[in-house]
Amino acid sequence: MAPCCACGHHADSKNMAIINLQNVTYKYPLTDAPALQNVNLQVNEGEFVAVIGPNGAGKSTLCYTIAGFVPHFFKGEITGSVEVAGNESSKSSLHEWVLNVGLAFQNPFNQISGAKYTVFEEIAFGLENIGVPREEMRSRVEEALKLTGISDLADRSPYSLSGGQQQRVALTSILVMQPKVLILDEPTSQMDPIGTREVFSVIRKLSETGITVVMVEHKVEWIAEFADKVVALHDGSVLLEGNPQEVLTSDLLTDKGFGISRYTSVARKAQELGIWKKDKLPVTLDEAVEGFKR
Amino acid sequence: MHERLSYYVKRDSALHRLNPLTKFILALSIIFISIFSPWYWTAPILFLLVIVPLCFVGRVSREFFTSAIRLILPAAGFIFFMQAFFQPGGETVIFKFWFLDVTQESLAFAFRISVRIAVMISAFTLLLMTTHPSELMSDLTRRGLPGQFAYVIISTLQILPQMQAKAQTIINAQRSRGLDTQSSFIKRAGSLIPLVGPLVFGSLVEVEERAIAIEARGFTSTHVKTSLHDVPDTSADKVIRWLLVALVVITLILKIWLS
Amino acid sequence: MNIEISNLQFTYPSGVQALFGVSLNIKAGEQVAIVGQNGAGKTTLVKHLNGLLQPTSGYVRIEDWDTKEHSVSKIARRVGYVFQNPDEQLFSKNVGTEVAFGPKNLGYTSEQIQALVKDALEMTELSDKTETNPYDLSPTWRKMVAIASIIAMDTPIVIFDEPTTGQDAANIARIANVIKVLRERGKTVITITHDIDFCAENFERVIAMSQGKILLDGKANDVLGQDEILSTTFVDPPQLTRLGKRLGFEQTVRNQAEFLAALKK
Repeated sequence: MAPCCACGHHADSKNMAIINLQNVTYKYPLTDAPALQNVNLQVNEGEFVAVIGPNGAGKSTLCYTIAGFVPHFFKGEITGSVEVAGNESSKSSLHEWVLNVGLAFQNPFNQISGAKYTVFEEIAFGLENIGVPREEMRSRVEEALKLTGISDLADRSPYSLSGGQQQRVALTSILVMQPKVLILDEPTSQMDPIGTREVFSVIRKLSETGITVVMVEHKVEWIAEFADKVVALHDGSVLLEGNPQEVLTSDLLTDKGFGISRYTSVARKAQELGIWKKDKLPVTLDEAVEGFKR
Repeated sequence: MHERLSYYVKRDSALHRLNPLTKFILALSIIFISIFSPWYWTAPILFLLVIVPLCFVGRVSREFFTSAIRLILPAAGFIFFMQAFFQPGGETVIFKFWFLDVTQESLAFAFRISVRIAVMISAFTLLLMTTHPSELMSDLTRRGLPGQFAYVIISTLQILPQMQAKAQTIINAQRSRGLDTQSSFIKRAGSLIPLVGPLVFGSLVEVEERAIAIEARGFTSTHVKTSLHDVPDTSADKVIRWLLVALVVITLILKIWLS
Repeated sequence: MNIEISNLQFTYPSGVQALFGVSLNIKAGEQVAIVGQNGAGKTTLVKHLNGLLQPTSGYVRIEDWDTKEHSVSKIARRVGYVFQNPDEQLFSKNVGTEVAFGPKNLGYTSEQIQALVKDALEMTELSDKTETNPYDLSPTWRKMVAIASIIAMDTPIVIFDEPTTGQDAANIARIANVIKVLRERGKTVITITHDIDFCAENFERVIAMSQGKILLDGKANDVLGQDEILSTTFVDPPQLTRLGKRLGFEQTVRNQAEFLAALKK
């Protein structure tokens, strides 16, 4: 991050963190243990951050926190500061928050409003809610459909679609709101391989348009290809943070029960046996091939 | 698989093109007039000379007659039967069956009631067949119906069939654990909880997620909402509505004056 | 118990034909994974094994029982089916009662039920959660409760429908362990899965389906090496298999041990 000058402004606004969590601790109502403990996280505009961790580590809670639903929807006790895309936890309401931060999660079926009979109308639903004029609505929906490649589904009922298609509809419904930050909580976990591919290719396209993306994902092989940064969460705290190479090959991950790619684990074993000579362990197929070729 | 629960038949007709509120008031007026008219022949006349022709105007005659055979006639017939046999206080006995008397009075009463029921059901069926539910809700919302109310109705129409599918899956899952769904009634009563439990608990989880999803799309925003589709309300619509209201008022006056 | 499927054809009431003459035999104690794209007919096929679906033509026999002649609740003595979504079966006030539901329906004595439940809870690492309400547990543990509920029925055949979807590495390892124990006890285990790595590492026999027919059926190493055929049903080979191919291995490898052994050569 660029250094602050004396007047308190950041010298280069482009490098300013669009997501800034400082010492965030959060407890859901009626629970004893905090779901997030002293979390510090800064994400710059345009970055693609992957969040990994075992179930129960607090990944979904982190997503909800960045999206403003913690604490405004879930209530509970929160300490620390949360600033996302100009919204601040203690000052902004959830209405204002959702205008800048989009959230999509695992189950595509539960993200369909049920209030609309065609995909086109479903996507327009969010724009109707925030009072966008009719003409603008139409053009925004058409653009969003093109962006995610589902223009041919526009007249279908959302309930007649496959899981992968529904998830793309859900994504499009959020994108049409033009959020600056997009949060995806395991968007492909219930998809088959085709659905997964469809969803990942859409997300890659989006990231290239400059949207900041935070994605929770178990499929480590995919993260290695896309992410600028990986955050490993464990028991509500940040265990590791850094670029994919560093994080995904770290010993700490295996100690704490994270999943790692088979390429990494076989190379580690080979390293122990003296077969893998390179310093760095591979994360992707190509890296593994390169390393094993003598 | 059903994608939604609705009677709506997609056609282009004069009736379809009417504003939803107009059709709603039309249905209510027909029902009102049939109940409050002082003359017993009003209801059948309404049915034959208003509702049936309107089916043709709305080009839903085939669907309407299917519905008539499946729902309207059996319902009206059942009421007729019950009233004819069980309505007490008649004097002129026409027919005796076991310990039940069918009197002239009870027959007349049964006729009046059953035709009114038929008119009621038909009027609403006609409304539902020619009005897309989201159009109706959208128009009512524009006129002041709370958005949350409209949402609950529409989403229920679409999600209920999904829940039916889910209920079937739950039944299958529990049968696969040895639950016998074909045995005696008493055993079956006890097997309700394994069938209803997952449906209810699973639905609670779904409802929370859906609430988050629609919140993320500004559902509870305080902005004035706009709508994608325009639901036209022509001057013809307004004239028709006032006419209907006038007819209802006249009927009320006649009823009070003649009784 | 042997499973015999002969020329199975199935058409849904809607008129869509899902299976076009599937024949296969599974011997007692085999571990079989069924892979293939959505719509290939995997779930349709597997639902015939416990009678949830009845053949339009052809037959399915679980040892001496023709599935047409017995109810689903009766076939449940021989075939346990773990559904994909645990929330579609959990309803009891605590884990112990939930897991006991299956064996109770099957008519075991209370002592037997107690022993079966205890064993199933140990296998799924749920022993300390017996008194907890299943819906107070995280989705991860609810999955294990669902699995325990079927294991407790002690059926000779167990079917898993997409067991690893949405699970983290730790839970996948737990599930793999359950399958290992079932194998050691001589149970037949059949699974439908999209996780090809999980499939490669835990199953000896792989059946690839496409468009209502069996495309490939054989030993895991043989089937998983056939990239072109697998790609027609949108199945990617396992990570280590791909790596091995790129490094020019002669044989198809499917797990770490085989990979390292082949590397040494």
